[in-house]
Amino acid sequence: MMKKIILPILLLAMPALTFAATKSQSLEGSFKVGPAIILITILTLFVLVGILFRAKDTNDYYAAGRGISRVGSGMAIASNWMSAASFLGMAALMYGYGYHGLAYVVGWTGGYVLLLILMAGQIRKYGKYTAADFIGDRYYSQGLRAIGAIIAILISISYCVGQFGGIGLMFKWILGIPYGWAVLIGGSVVLAYTLISGMLGVTKNMQIQYVIIIVSFLIPLFILTFKFDYMWLLPQIGYGSVVSDTISGIPLAETKQLVNSLGHEFASVPAPEYAMPWDPSTGQTMFQWIALAFSLMVGTAGLPHVIQRFYVVPKARDARWSVVWGLFFICILYWSAPAYAAFGRILSANPEIGKLSKDAIVVYTAQLGEVNPLIVGLLAAGGVSAAFSTVSGLLVAGSSAFAHDLYVKVINPEAPPKRQLLFARLATVLMAVIVTLIALLDLALIGQLVAVAFSLAGCTIFPLFLLGIWWSGSNKAGAVAGLITGGLISLIAITYFIAGTQEIVLPFHDFVSYWLEAWYFAWIGAPLAILANIVVSKLTKPTPIEIRKFLIEKVHA
Amino acid sequence: MEEHKNEYHISFFKPTTEHARLNRNMVIWFVLIWVVAIFGFQLALYVLQKPTPEPVLKTFKASWPAVSSGQASTQELQDHSFATLSVLGKVFIKPEYRKVLDRTLSRSVLSLCDSAQKVDVMANIQDFRAVIASIDASQARIDEINTKDALSSKQKKEKIEPLQKEINAGWEQYSIAKEKLVVQLTPILGLETTDVRTRILPLELTSSLEPLTDEEKMIVEKAMDLYLIHNQSVLTDTKLFGFPFHYFYTAIFLLILFVGLCWLYCVRTDKINARLNVVD
Repeated sequence: MMKKIILPILLLAMPALTFAATKSQSLEGSFKVGPAIILITILTLFVLVGILFRAKDTNDYYAAGRGISRVGSGMAIASNWMSAASFLGMAALMYGYGYHGLAYVVGWTGGYVLLLILMAGQIRKYGKYTAADFIGDRYYSQGLRAIGAIIAILISISYCVGQFGGIGLMFKWILGIPYGWAVLIGGSVVLAYTLISGMLGVTKNMQIQYVIIIVSFLIPLFILTFKFDYMWLLPQIGYGSVVSDTISGIPLAETKQLVNSLGHEFASVPAPEYAMPWDPSTGQTMFQWIALAFSLMVGTAGLPHVIQRFYVVPKARDARWSVVWGLFFICILYWSAPAYAAFGRILSANPEIGKLSKDAIVVYTAQLGEVNPLIVGLLAAGGVSAAFSTVSGLLVAGSSAFAHDLYVKVINPEAPPKRQLLFARLATVLMAVIVTLIALLDLALIGQLVAVAFSLAGCTIFPLFLLGIWWSGSNKAGAVAGLITGGLISLIAITYFIAGTQEIVLPFHDFVSYWLEAWYFAWIGAPLAILANIVVSKLTKPTPIEIRKFLIEKVHA
Repeated sequence: MEEHKNEYHISFFKPTTEHARLNRNMVIWFVLIWVVAIFGFQLALYVLQKPTPEPVLKTFKASWPAVSSGQASTQELQDHSFATLSVLGKVFIKPEYRKVLDRTLSRSVLSLCDSAQKVDVMANIQDFRAVIASIDASQARIDEINTKDALSSKQKKEKIEPLQKEINAGWEQYSIAKEKLVVQLTPILGLETTDVRTRILPLELTSSLEPLTDEEKMIVEKAMDLYLIHNQSVLTDTKLFGFPFHYFYTAIFLLILFVGLCWLYCVRTDKINARLNVVD
């Protein structure tokens, strides 16, 4: 089936691609024919797959019929996970902040260990569709179900903002249009795609997207390491010498006549600040590194769209093994991303290049390394695919929270399936509009914007799942107390962040901005929410016997 | 009721079945390894680290008092220029620092020239700046034309074409003017022609000869310390597979460990389940 779709598209695109190879010249500004054709080809492929495997009913829409294999699910987890933040944002953070950026690499992978050993199998055994479903049932409260749904929507929106930013940057680069228009066009395309395909299409697409993402990310890296005379057979190790060369500097005499695409020698002055831990010139401290890594890890275990992926495997064992596969597939990209930052640092070392947009450094590095324009185009299209795969998962998770958890479970339990689907799609449109409007403000780097969603999840949903699964003593009152605590800390941190972007100085601004920065406030929010949950649960009426019985007999059997 | 309460109670730390006990022990071990591997290593990095200056900071510190007081020798001025260029060649510098460093560099460079050279160098710097300004102006005009919706594509093309020609000619002049400065100043600064700093030099020079204020002198000192002192230790100075060890550990090894931990957890869980006849 897939061959029937892919082959005609490639054959149709081939003549145009051959012509386009000579066209793409500048780092920014102009319309790039080759990359545009590659992008359109890939998007067409996604939409066709989406149509072929589209959702037929609500069961399909929410959980893909629970018919996905472990490796397939692992690929879907990886594709769902590898967003614009992984593809573009991580290298950007390492390019800008050096070693501090590695906190994102560790945080966004280490969280899967927590997720696996503490939750994955148990979540599948609990057998609910969405995070809010779990919260509502486990804490026997329709109110908490509604709050869980609202938090899931907020997390999805917050997470999507960074993705739309990434889509906007890549559309801007490919189409040569202003950022605002690029966000609007890219946002519309991803919305149309999600509406057409639903989650079954999304899951099938995610497997294809994973392959496109990883291939498009790795090919330029092999070329760069080969071209600049590093160990290219395994670029994930080969770039170690690039890091060391950045530290010690590369004299002109040792450049071996290698130049970047703008004619600057592959040379630089010594820059130990790139790799040394929490270098003073980056303005980042060890506390921030630890707080960030911790927040991202607990956030990983609390993200609704990640948790939701465990509902689509047949058994708890499959849920566990899909994490192993998913993490392995994710790590292939995460081992590679720092290499782009290291090459980017040397290739853009000449001051004549000027200030580059950090979030596009992956693409700029390939361009500066004079990688074939078509391959750079594939790389950019891979960036868009990464954002697409995540956004569609997020929009499905957000719209599920609205239509399934809020509308059907709380407002109108008698709603027929057709109406549920309609509400899910309306919610998708509404979320996409909100996300587009926020993304147009260009508030921070992609990785940082996404980190806000992680901290929010870490402060709210993670404690509810952790205690809900592992301690039957955690009750409704405790959950409310934990949510209030985590929610309050989130509110303070996000308020100070927004005030900062608007240059409004609030009381204790520097203190709060440092200790509760928007990207890592879960370092304190998550433990405090857990503590509040435990204390209040101990002081109030115990969890009903039916819930405890269910936990023993179904979840921990 | 009380009997039921005890019977149906789940607590991670108080397992009631063999399966739960084995799982708890395994989880505790895995979390411990996870915590020590991630945060323990960062703590070790922090404890062992020492603020380590780049060698060029010593050069700066030795020459700065004389340069700052305006009584520097040729060697001191050359050393100062070399040190300043070492910072200006870094990718990220705060604009306010760059501005002051450009001025102290330019003053040192011009102080190294005799009267005739000085006039010539200043004229060349001005020429170079004028070329850059002209390219920027043409580019700004193109950007302006591109944003005018009232113009058709053909009209835009007609207007942009001559400007693009100006820019192309501008880049040729740019290369000539830049090379002129490099050739002229490299021997004056005592730089080797293969030193990457020679490529940075023309871009940072200004023709201003105004002395630095006390506040600006403090900024110079602060900037040099900020960009030339780094946290280093045996963990950062040891090499593994070409990487600094700490970088390899965090960027590569930790991820391998995470995958390994997950794999091991699944294998062990499957074994425990098989042994205790637990079916998922």
